[in-house]
Amino acid sequence: MECRDFTLQLDDLLDGGLDALQRKAIQEHLESCADCRRQHEHAVAVLQAVRKLSPPALHPGFIDQALSRATRIAEARPRWRPKLGMALAASLVLGVALGVFFATQPTVQTVALTIDRPETVRLMFNSAKPLKAATLSLALPENVELVGYGNRRELSWQTDLREGGNLMQLPLVVRGATKDDLVASLSHDGSSKTFRLRIEVDDAGRGM
Amino acid sequence: MRTTASEYRRARPAALNFEDLLRPQVEYLYRLAWRFTGSVADAEDLVQDVLIKLFPRTRELLEIERLRPWLARVLYHQYVDSVRQRARSPVVELVTDESEDSPLDALPETKDGPEERAERSGQRERILRALDRLNPEQRAVVAMHDVEGYTLEELEKVLETPLGTLKSRLHRARQRLRALLPMEPFSPGERVKE
Repeated sequence: MECRDFTLQLDDLLDGGLDALQRKAIQEHLESCADCRRQHEHAVAVLQAVRKLSPPALHPGFIDQALSRATRIAEARPRWRPKLGMALAASLVLGVALGVFFATQPTVQTVALTIDRPETVRLMFNSAKPLKAATLSLALPENVELVGYGNRRELSWQTDLREGGNLMQLPLVVRGATKDDLVASLSHDGSSKTFRLRIEVDDAGRGM
Repeated sequence: MRTTASEYRRARPAALNFEDLLRPQVEYLYRLAWRFTGSVADAEDLVQDVLIKLFPRTRELLEIERLRPWLARVLYHQYVDSVRQRARSPVVELVTDESEDSPLDALPETKDGPEERAERSGQRERILRALDRLNPEQRAVVAMHDVEGYTLEELEKVLETPLGTLKSRLHRARQRLRALLPMEPFSPGERVKE
């Protein structure tokens, strides 16, 4: 057997997919070839190491919460989806993501929405510890609607925040030019934080 | 007149059937999702998304004979889609418009606890980082074949992907992992190459 043959059969060897004759041929080759022997040992070690990885225990209560949420979810309503351990630096952070997102300046966060096209803006709150009954209030600027809430400009929810990232999905639709920012306020136990999101209107798709 | 099991199920509220069917599978889905993502948060999100997607299909689920591989396929597609979606949808930090001190700011910054830190250190961390370098399709075949024990022939059906493609993905994934986790296995100071 040549080294090249061994390399070609390595995956099958690892998977136990070779017959006795093929295994014997490889065994004989490995006894005489130190390079292939090292390659084999390395492959086995990496495979074993990957197999040994085990997931941390499931978050207590997750099964009940996840099943219950799945059966209750309503499409048009904003949806809290707790995310643990998101890699955001500050102790309480609001992040924004959007399919067509552009805002790289450190002081101004902006999303671009196309007129009359509903798009989901995701707001991420990163909490340093669990917060029970935190209140989130949204003030929507003129011409911006939360899908399913008509013309309501002020909305608020009470919710529990889990430690780590908490993601809120807001289906927004912009109806025309807007001057003001969307303001999100999070308050808990007498403290509050306010975040601003500038919405730029892209009307390029209008009339198509 | 006696009611058959399927008649009984059809007559029950969907939520009860859904819970009966899925509850025994959630832990498996989480484990597989974690092997795909390497992150508890992402794995929980992935499982949640799959459950939300499946609830309206409860009737269909009742008819499936071997639910676990079927669920694995749904999870796999959700995972691949989420990776692609995330690449298009970055999460960035918003700054606050208040400069004054706030008790909320004073909350201690929490990361992993000591136990989790230790767990994620060393070799475990290096392997997870190496797995992160695989593309989602490669990572999934490693998770399902090398770890969960699906044969490639089973995966051909579960993932509806030709055997040759799976073999090639597995070969490239293993090759990449070996390159990222060089000999002698995972000694301290070993570096995962860019």
